[in-house]
Amino acid sequence: MIATKYEVVVGLEVHAQIKTESKMFCGCSTDYLAAAPNANTCPVCLGLPGSLPVINRKAVEATIRTALALHCEIPEFSKFDRKNYFYPDLPKGYQISQYDLPFSRNGYLEFDVKGEPGRCGITRVHLEEDTGKLLHAGAIEQAQSSLINLNRAGVPLMEIVSEPDLRTADEAREYVMRLRAILQYIGVNDGNMESGQLRCDANVSLRPVGAKELGTKVEVKNMNSFRAIHRAILYEIVRQTEVLDAAGRLAQETRGWNDARGLTVSQRSKELAEDYRYFPEPDLPPLEVSRAWVGQIKAGLPELPAARRDRLVADFGLSAYDASVLTSSKPMAEYFEETVRLGAPAKTAANWILGDFSRFLNADHKEIQDSAIQPAHLQQLIALVETSAISGKMAKQTFDEMYRAADPGPALDAAKRSRQISGDAELEAIVDQVIAQNEKSVADFKGGKQQALGFLVGQAMKLSKGRANPERLNALLRAKIQ
Amino acid sequence: MPENEPELSSDEVRHVARLARLGITPEEVTRFRDQLRNILHAIEALNRADTSRVPATAHPLEQRNVMREDERQPSLSIEAALQNAPSVEDGYFKVKAIQE
Amino acid sequence: MKLFQGTIRALHQMLVDREISSVELTESVLGQIDAVGRETHAYLAVTRDLALHQARAADARIREGDRVRPLTGIPIAIKDVLCVEGVPATAGSRILEGFVPPYSATVVERLATEGAVFLGKTNCDEFAMGSSNENSGYRPVHNPWDLDRVPGGSSGGSAAAVASGEAVAALGSDTGGSIRQPAALTGTVGMKPTYGRVSRYGLIAFASSLDQVGPITRDVADCAVLLQAIAGHDARDSTSSPRPVPDYLAGLDGGVHGMRLGVPKEYFVSGMEPEVERAVRSAIEVYQRLGATIEEVSLPHSDVALPAYYIIAPAEASSNLARYDGARYGVQAGGGRNVIEEYELTRQQGFGAEVKRRIMLGTYALSSGYYDAFYLKAQKVRTLIIEDFQRAFEQVDALLGATSPTVAFPLGAKTQDPVAMYLNDIITIPANLGNVCGISVPCGLANGLPIGLQVLAPGYREDVALRVAQAFESATEFNRARSPLVGSAA
Ligand SMILES: [Mg+2]
Ligand SMILES: [Zn+2]
Repeated sequence: MIATKYEVVVGLEVHAQIKTESKMFCGCSTDYLAAAPNANTCPVCLGLPGSLPVINRKAVEATIRTALALHCEIPEFSKFDRKNYFYPDLPKGYQISQYDLPFSRNGYLEFDVKGEPGRCGITRVHLEEDTGKLLHAGAIEQAQSSLINLNRAGVPLMEIVSEPDLRTADEAREYVMRLRAILQYIGVNDGNMESGQLRCDANVSLRPVGAKELGTKVEVKNMNSFRAIHRAILYEIVRQTEVLDAAGRLAQETRGWNDARGLTVSQRSKELAEDYRYFPEPDLPPLEVSRAWVGQIKAGLPELPAARRDRLVADFGLSAYDASVLTSSKPMAEYFEETVRLGAPAKTAANWILGDFSRFLNADHKEIQDSAIQPAHLQQLIALVETSAISGKMAKQTFDEMYRAADPGPALDAAKRSRQISGDAELEAIVDQVIAQNEKSVADFKGGKQQALGFLVGQAMKLSKGRANPERLNALLRAKIQ
Repeated sequence: MPENEPELSSDEVRHVARLARLGITPEEVTRFRDQLRNILHAIEALNRADTSRVPATAHPLEQRNVMREDERQPSLSIEAALQNAPSVEDGYFKVKAIQE
Repeated sequence: MKLFQGTIRALHQMLVDREISSVELTESVLGQIDAVGRETHAYLAVTRDLALHQARAADARIREGDRVRPLTGIPIAIKDVLCVEGVPATAGSRILEGFVPPYSATVVERLATEGAVFLGKTNCDEFAMGSSNENSGYRPVHNPWDLDRVPGGSSGGSAAAVASGEAVAALGSDTGGSIRQPAALTGTVGMKPTYGRVSRYGLIAFASSLDQVGPITRDVADCAVLLQAIAGHDARDSTSSPRPVPDYLAGLDGGVHGMRLGVPKEYFVSGMEPEVERAVRSAIEVYQRLGATIEEVSLPHSDVALPAYYIIAPAEASSNLARYDGARYGVQAGGGRNVIEEYELTRQQGFGAEVKRRIMLGTYALSSGYYDAFYLKAQKVRTLIIEDFQRAFEQVDALLGATSPTVAFPLGAKTQDPVAMYLNDIITIPANLGNVCGISVPCGLANGLPIGLQVLAPGYREDVALRVAQAFESATEFNRARSPLVGSAA
């Protein structure tokens, strides 16, 4: 599909809100989604005359935490700068951000595409403040006026900038998936892209294979799902290829991804002359990031996806590919381990989670933690198959019902009951066989050893492949050996 | 004022006014251009100072790592937040559309 | 003596002795505002009801002997760049007309806790940018010593209020001399504390790395009292210093015997009026008589302080003033076809010429291609100026010089020539860039117009500046001169 005479060059800029109680520079609450318009604002985040910012320590540590998880260097000296531009969602007329001395530089992120390992350089992770939200009556192009809600203004925001190391849309998607997993693992961000907690911009350019210098860069914005990132980049590759093939010249521009129409549209840039006039933020003293402080933060890092993946391979004998997909989302990895802990065979659990379960979830754009099916449910379903109480085919049907139902319980119970043997004739045959094969236990029971009955029931169950109705079985056994 | 910079031009004045979101009349362009040229001439005195051996001072401050703990403080009431706004709608600040 | 002529300390004594009530005192000052306010235009807003309400509360505190502080019941004026919750704040700009802050500046809260009485918001140059008060977006302030002359700026309203008996004391702000220069031109005492000594929270920013709030008073002791009340760390201002605040009255009368006082030769600038130089030289002799050793010192980079200031301050201002877009507060022009046009119209109509000039200058200095040549260079020069002071203060305890090269000049004399206007601050600016503290005290009159002596001390040594200034004040009569508008002190 893509002309092979061009090399695709993609770099990603990910903005991730940091999970804090209060905003970056003031005490206002960060849960802007719940609150009424402009309810979470104060003189500082409204940019009122005379107000001053004060740095939120937790946001700084979350940034360094993230940088460490991405193998970045943490310089000993850092500062905030002002990025000056006018836009209605930016109350002060400047964004407090970091320019030449960010909290971190030179890291990398490892991912794999269909089992093939890949790595992308991380240029920097820096800390800044989020902007407010604009509401337009209708499409931004036609709107007569814009409404401003500043609840989001000042929410701590990390900018994670990658090197232009990515070569395919698949790699880009994997990069973001893996990055999102890391942010979840270290607890700085929940990775919700729809709500804008995690936002991704892509710089896409093409260059003749073998060329050194980069081609004209196009910045693609508002892709708010993995799928959107993948589709948008594929679209840009095709579009740019066509322009270049037609000997046309690409414009260096910003384009917005339109998910409904499946294409990118040229956007007017917010600042016609992009001259941000960065200078050191005079309201904030600089920061000295002592090695002791970095050490503390490092010590607090939990197991990261890569380590967990290796552990799943080692402990459960999963394939590297299955393990890496399972660990690409923290909730999924935890779901898997819980299912296994409850007694399900690892490989089977992995197959279920990566198979039907993921297929259903993806179709509904849901996450595993959003499903009513709990690890216990899945484990019991797996057990039914293991004891061949039900067939794999039936298990799939059952799972489908369990997934669709608000409460998976009934569907699961139905499956348990489905092929139970309750007919006395059939059960007696089993009971006789058990009695014949276990004279000793029968004798023990007659000798008053109650627990021997349990053993015999168990044997009968086994013989019935777990299908015997336990109550009836019990009654018949007692009747015969009393 | 790098040495032998050409004098500030009217186009530069318009560009700067644009960056600063300052509406400016043609007369103002000329007036500001001439006044800024004079000021920039006076400022050229800066070049007399040899700064080759010194770092820049963004701040006279001695303090470092001034931070607050991640604790919520009460926000303003919505009324107070909006009380000074020239134009409000349904609890939002209202401005003209982004594009004409 | 009329009450409005009194000093904080004398009036405090009368209040605690119950000779007078704060209501009587406040009414006396409000009466003087009614009498001369139309001539000085010192105030943009007089908060009469608030003042009388606070005065009654202060009287109750004094009656019950409950938390009686040095400022309890004392009527004070506040420069209109400081936010007082519920009281309009304009920073002298039309663009903020009608803005009512929903919060108070830290210094204002501290004065309120002391039980001080707020008379109102004093006139100033727009966003504190000016040296004559003629850049007020509303009306110029007239000098109480000669109503045809400027009071200096940008805290001209505060200085004029104190000089005309329209306030017992006042708060101003000083970015390049905006407290000291008007104090000098109005025969009052004005101090710029060390950057970080007084909280900037609630101070409408001009140049964030230079702005400081400070007192304007009738004498040095009052200056110490007012500074004592506002100084100290504030968690809401990350640039405020955690250093403990000394007792400024304790060592005030220690004198200068045995002290080493430096006279920077660069501070006798060309264009300094001979009467000013004469007054400063004789002030230096006074110090000699008081037992101080006088040494000539050099601050070799003084000549580049002014140009560095006119890069750094406008650059920071261009960013600080970006928030005035008419969307959340202030005046919206209306008539723009889109939000960008609306911003441009609002700012074109709302800002005055000097503010626009400095926004343009600062924007230019920060714009790509010029940053290193202007802003970075200026910051390096700032380092040199800091080093100049460090070297000088290894040699001497304090520095002496004129505050302003001239006495008050006629209204309109310099409005057409920005560069000439900027020269007013040539001797005050280094203290802001070098981050030392400074005070201006009256040191004589030149044909009926006050002259100011500037005393500079190392960072956080306000105690030294006050002590040196106090020694001069108590050894001379200059401080007793009063502007015609108040009549001579009894
Ligand atoms: Mg950013
Ligand atoms: Zn806030």
